[in-house]
Amino acid sequence: MPKKYHIEINPTPLDLKLVAKFKITRGENCINCGKCTKVCIYEAHKRSEADIRKIAEPYMVACKNCFRCIQECPRGALVKSLDPEFQALGGPYWKPDMFLSIWKQAEDGKVPVSGAGYRGPFTGPGFDGMWTDMSEIVRPTRDGIHGREYISTAVELGRKLNHLEFDASGALVSKVFDVVNVPIPIILDIPSSELITPNIKQAIVAAAKKIDSFVILPAENITDDVQKNMQHIIPLMSAEQVLFHAELIRHARVIAIDYSDALLKNFCSIRESVRNLSPALVIVRIPASSGIEERVVELVRAGVEIVQIAADYCGMEVPGGRYIKDVIRAVHLRLVDERVRDEISIIASGGIAMAEHVPKACICGADLTAVGLPLLIALGALVYQEPEKKIVMPEGIDTVPVAIARQRIVNLMGAWHSQILEMMGAMGIREARRLRGETGRAIFFDEIDKDIFGKLFQNQEAASV
Amino acid sequence: MKPDSVVIKPIPSRFKHQVPKYKVTRSDACINCGMCAKSCPYGVHERIEGHNKMRPPIDYKCIGYECRKNDEFYCVYRCPRKALSLSLNPMYDALGDCRWTSDMIVATWIMAETGYPPERTDLGYNLGNSGGGFDKLRLKFPENPAKVNREEISTAIRLNRRADGRADVVISTPVYGGGMSFGSVSLATMLSKARNAKIWNTFTCTGEGGYPEMLYPYDDHVITQVATGLFGVREETIQRVKIVEFKYAQGAKPGLGGHLLGTKNTESVARMREAVQGTPLFSPFPFHSVYSIEDHKKHIDWIKQMNPKALVSVKVSTPNDVDMVAVGSYYAGAHIIHIDGGYGGTGAAPDIAKKNIAMPIEYAIPKVHNFLRDEGARDVVTLIASGGIRTAHDLVKAICLGADGAVIGTAEMVALECVRCGNCESGRGCARGIASTDSELADLFNDDWATQRLTNLYHAWNYQLVDILQRMGMKSVTELVGRTDLLEHVDYS
Ligand code: SF4
Ligand code: SF4
Ligand code: SF4
Ligand code: SF4
Repeated sequence: MPKKYHIEINPTPLDLKLVAKFKITRGENCINCGKCTKVCIYEAHKRSEADIRKIAEPYMVACKNCFRCIQECPRGALVKSLDPEFQALGGPYWKPDMFLSIWKQAEDGKVPVSGAGYRGPFTGPGFDGMWTDMSEIVRPTRDGIHGREYISTAVELGRKLNHLEFDASGALVSKVFDVVNVPIPIILDIPSSELITPNIKQAIVAAAKKIDSFVILPAENITDDVQKNMQHIIPLMSAEQVLFHAELIRHARVIAIDYSDALLKNFCSIRESVRNLSPALVIVRIPASSGIEERVVELVRAGVEIVQIAADYCGMEVPGGRYIKDVIRAVHLRLVDERVRDEISIIASGGIAMAEHVPKACICGADLTAVGLPLLIALGALVYQEPEKKIVMPEGIDTVPVAIARQRIVNLMGAWHSQILEMMGAMGIREARRLRGETGRAIFFDEIDKDIFGKLFQNQEAASV
Repeated sequence: MKPDSVVIKPIPSRFKHQVPKYKVTRSDACINCGMCAKSCPYGVHERIEGHNKMRPPIDYKCIGYECRKNDEFYCVYRCPRKALSLSLNPMYDALGDCRWTSDMIVATWIMAETGYPPERTDLGYNLGNSGGGFDKLRLKFPENPAKVNREEISTAIRLNRRADGRADVVISTPVYGGGMSFGSVSLATMLSKARNAKIWNTFTCTGEGGYPEMLYPYDDHVITQVATGLFGVREETIQRVKIVEFKYAQGAKPGLGGHLLGTKNTESVARMREAVQGTPLFSPFPFHSVYSIEDHKKHIDWIKQMNPKALVSVKVSTPNDVDMVAVGSYYAGAHIIHIDGGYGGTGAAPDIAKKNIAMPIEYAIPKVHNFLRDEGARDVVTLIASGGIRTAHDLVKAICLGADGAVIGTAEMVALECVRCGNCESGRGCARGIASTDSELADLFNDDWATQRLTNLYHAWNYQLVDILQRMGMKSVTELVGRTDLLEHVDYS
């Protein structure tokens, strides 16, 4: 058995001001009896250190909403509410609870677990409109907890052959393309250098190295301090800049070029100039917008081997209005129809916010995903969708030691990796490569709701007349 | 109808204060005249002689906006200085979520306290706010139902329909308690579930992890579970009971194994599970000896051999092919097919699994019901649904979709004053003592209190069920099975 891919986690709290979900205020009628300090098993209530006759302000990050202090205070002096600061976080896509979950995973690297059932909506737009399937009876992957070791999350970047050709003497005549292995279907994605302080950049690059994956960084932002890890950096540039960044390309295993009409027209010669510099693979990064299926087919015909389909930060196609899940599905099916699906790898990005989005994007047809915002959130960033997109890095972020920031990102990816394994195990899929386009192992809300409830309840009136 | 053993007694909350829905605000205009204290019959306002200020209002006692119609005492109108106002309490938003709304939790508490559905009309407790499934289904009542008296209505269902000479088990209400294992809930919780099962002539389930001696007096109302880890499974326990349940998977973590941390494998847990104290215990997924329906049959035969009277229940989660699995289980000899959807679950489970793996129970029920019917097997098996049955209305909808009855878990926990904070497994366990074996926390209530709360909750549900059957003009809950024509879906009508 080959050495198992493993992400080493390590509890790493971040000493920054965190937003708490709840707020508790203590009314004037508090008699400082101390009951609340006794009933709160999470130690949110404590006596004041300055004056032990008094009770300190509640430490709300510790509160787990058990309501005991509220219900047991003899005076009913405590009032609880949702913290408006918490409620203002994110928006319809980046739900406030996602932040708590990402923070926790970045801190402990563990799969989030809770009791008493699911709490969210029945279904929702985008990835929330699908469930993954599982099977009750043993499949080959199913060797219980020990089976996890046999599940591989590795995927390949690059073109695959449809079939191999041999000559009469049995020698291989097909040219086998270069591919790059990524042990987890996730690459890190920081396409803009805004907000990224040098320590954070170093931490993200170090994390990419640690998990043996890549990070996409704008070429002009690849400063000397990170160049030693060029093996894990994908420089992103425009088609015109290829020669200008020759030195970076020479050391990179993969590079990324922004899509443009010029790129499409001159792809052959641009690819050739890259090939003259290094064997690096080339990703074409294209924004998700309506009609993208067509453009991806053109890219394949032009010889592009990897495409990154980038939705906006909420996983939306602009313009177009489809969710990344539906965009990827459409592109995948289109390429299958054209019989060219294996000639290209697809990276889905934009709106990948939770571990479940990774296998779901793959089921919809991506080979792997690229993740951006969650990395910043792991470091305490606050994201607001309304009134317009705003990302606020926590104060003091520029002085967080690289090792701590790196470990938090590694922890988050470790937690995601474990969750991907859980889902794959349940699906009975042993290799992440086989997830691609496996819609048979998924249940789509639109389809099942129509198939079951639609049949039962549509035109019920008409039928009973 | 309820069995004679059911006695309804009001049993109050363990806590001094309830979570208030309304907020009564007194402004500085108050002159401490005490008029409100004299008017409000619910004791919200308190004036203490000699104090120069009124006590802060006790919000949770206030009945809210419906009080407006009470000309003779509505405090907001009666206050001579217009110092009082009424609003929704922000505290209420901190309770509950879209599946279990705050109204639903509070109504369940009231049912457990009184034994009846709430009298107040301001709680929308029959529907959650999840935007799908049960929450989009509505009951349709006929305009001119046949006239039936409450006393004539039967809520009993038979669990053995195979006519195979095994026990003819009938439960008095079409609901029983889900499996919660020794070690995952407090002893009082476990014992009260069994006591209530006996009172209601229904069942509770041990969950995986053995058959504690304290349940022996309730043998006839306990389902013992055979799960993949086979922990605590012994010939002797299989022979004690009337129903043995094979747990292939559970909805909250379909396709995932169980893992009991070494630290939770205490001396008593280890003894019960026949394991070595302090070692982590894995329940693999799935049964390592089951690769086919034939293997499955072998297991069922094994149980049947060991206990010639017992019924066999097969618990599965809800993948796409759940219908096939159900039919396979029927052919393998199961009496009860128990399908468990992902949105429920009481024990700790990975969030990713609860939300994403396998289909919600609302789809699985009609899928399995119809498939069994097409196979000609529907009349000879009992179909039980679980995983997201929160209220009596969910129960009725599940039956209309094709189930014979339901298993509940979270609703029982809420009856014991669970607030659904979800921290059952973190640190010392449940802060409210329901799902904890921590010596201090597990003592927060005793099983007498808990048993009465559960008995009351079951009664309130049964009472609502009888109400609905009466409005449908039916004499038995069995007439409701598969009657999707009595439901409508807000998206498709
Ligand atoms: S229990 Fe209530 S009265 Fe006692 S110290 Fe806490 S807030 Fe004050
Ligand atoms: S609600 Fe519970 S966890 Fe939160 S402060 Fe009060 S006692 Fe502590
Ligand atoms: S609104 Fe009615 S119930 Fe509420 S405090 Fe006033 S009088 Fe009492
Ligand atoms: S920990 Fe919270 S969710 Fe779990 S049983 Fe206790 S109150 Fe309920």
